[in-house]
Amino acid sequence: MTRAARRLLAPLALAVAASGVAQGQVYQEPDAFIAEVFGSKPAPKVLWLTKDIQEQVVAILGHPPTQLRQRYWSEGAKSVWILEETGKEELITAGFVVVGGRIDHVRVLVYRESRGQEVRQSSFVKQFKDAKLAQGNRLDRDIDGIVGATLSVGAMERMARLALLFDRLSHDKVHG
Amino acid sequence: MKKSTLSVALATAFGAMPAFGQTVDQKLQILQQEIDELKAQTRKPPAPAQPSSPYSLDYSSMLDRSSGLANGGTNIIGYGEVGYSKFRESGNATADLQRFVFGFNHRFDERLTLHSEVEIEHAVVSADDHGEAEIEQAWVNYKMSDAVNFKGGLFLIPIGILNETHEPPTYYGVQRNQVETRIIPTTWRELGFGVHGIVGEGFRYDVGVTTSFDSGKLDDPLTGIRSAHQEGQEANARNLAVYGALNYRRPGLLVGGGVFSGDTGQNGASNPALQGVAARFSLWDVHAQYRVAGLDLQALYTAGTLGDADKVTAALFAADPTTAFAAPKSMKGGYVQAAYHVYKEGNFDVAPFIRYERIDIRQAEDPANDLFQNPNNNERIKTLGVNFWVHPQVVLKADIQRYTTDKTQDAFRLGAGFMF
Repeated sequence: MTRAARRLLAPLALAVAASGVAQGQVYQEPDAFIAEVFGSKPAPKVLWLTKDIQEQVVAILGHPPTQLRQRYWSEGAKSVWILEETGKEELITAGFVVVGGRIDHVRVLVYRESRGQEVRQSSFVKQFKDAKLAQGNRLDRDIDGIVGATLSVGAMERMARLALLFDRLSHDKVHG
Repeated sequence: MKKSTLSVALATAFGAMPAFGQTVDQKLQILQQEIDELKAQTRKPPAPAQPSSPYSLDYSSMLDRSSGLANGGTNIIGYGEVGYSKFRESGNATADLQRFVFGFNHRFDERLTLHSEVEIEHAVVSADDHGEAEIEQAWVNYKMSDAVNFKGGLFLIPIGILNETHEPPTYYGVQRNQVETRIIPTTWRELGFGVHGIVGEGFRYDVGVTTSFDSGKLDDPLTGIRSAHQEGQEANARNLAVYGALNYRRPGLLVGGGVFSGDTGQNGASNPALQGVAARFSLWDVHAQYRVAGLDLQALYTAGTLGDADKVTAALFAADPTTAFAAPKSMKGGYVQAAYHVYKEGNFDVAPFIRYERIDIRQAEDPANDLFQNPNNNERIKTLGVNFWVHPQVVLKADIQRYTTDKTQDAFRLGAGFMF
């Protein structure tokens, strides 16, 4: 090993030793996220993914949903959706809080891939604040991407659209 | 139980659930789907765990999965591109399956993962063809946290923009830009180990120790150090290299740079005349990308030097006077690029672009042996084209390229690329 390499690696080794084993990829348990949103965790509700709903999900995700029932939590106009979608190669788990048909806030709860964690930064997720569904179940705004995290950004956008769709459908069912 | 009795029982059960106005028939239809799927599953042999199969049928199992970060799954990824080039000066045209890449990524446990890519270039690989089959990446990552990851194996060097993010739908133009081909030798990989992670809000660092180039293997006068790459193929490793990169990313913005430095003489392992010659190679770059309101701007500058270049030139001549050329002693280049998304509807996205590249590779001439600077190493390239994404992961491309020095490369090109 060259002298330069030794000089480079010595402080790194110290930094790693000081960091210890950190929390890993689970940033927040979904239960904790739901409890944080509502103060306490309300009873879950279920949205049945009927054939017409499945067709709308396919249009958003580009693939059929693998679940036939979607659990969610709601109180008044506020609902919470814990969704999952594959970024480049692994699932991203994110929590979406929808209030009055608009996204209130988004949080990445579990990120499994080795790159692209930038999608959990506040500068990225705050772009979804107040987003609502526009024509064709698209967001009413463009979400700026992150270089090197293109597929994770796409997955987050699809999940946001899905959360808004599910929220609307859950209200349609209640009031329909 | 008779069907009617089952229906009544289910209807009663559903009546106790929160009312959403969904009919019993719809719910029965869904339950029938679930039963059919379960039947199908019981007929199949048990499949290995797939971490990327969504699992929110039952939220309680989802919690378990989320916490446990299911292990043992293998994913397949890939990308590829085809291109057609019609050369202006000769009138010749070629069509080529430029590359097809597939990879297997495996999760051993919640911290340990394998990443691999296998590339086949130009469709056919045989002794009589130009095609190559190569391992582009094969490395293991151990994640302690977002801030600290260890990696080891054959991995990409984090210099420039294209080297790490080179899937066809992620860049403009039918072909990769020439600066990040001839000066930064994309796809540039080395054997070694490194530490990488994200610190603060968007700063990604990557540092490590890897194999280096072997200047005794230089065989192309027009691509700087590129032809001295070893790519993990029985690499001479007497001389190692160090690299470091720091990039800042936030939505719409990337600013960063990287540096790589290592001796390339390899104690004469591939060319005895280089025994005892350091031939240190150093390369650095700075780059930026900014996207706002449909505008996509990108710029990169890179520069490098090869020490003892005159000795490398002499060594190349000593090895084979008929193929020898003047070794590169310094290289620099850069590009600016602008694109504008003129149409975006659904998955469709159309963005014309323009790019200007500058390449300047200086060679260590040896007039006594008639080894001189190649004029094509002083080049300016203008590219005007359009990318049309029919899906975020599938792109069609067209462009026109004009070279200032090597006019034989002026061409009209069409291409298509994909990634998954």
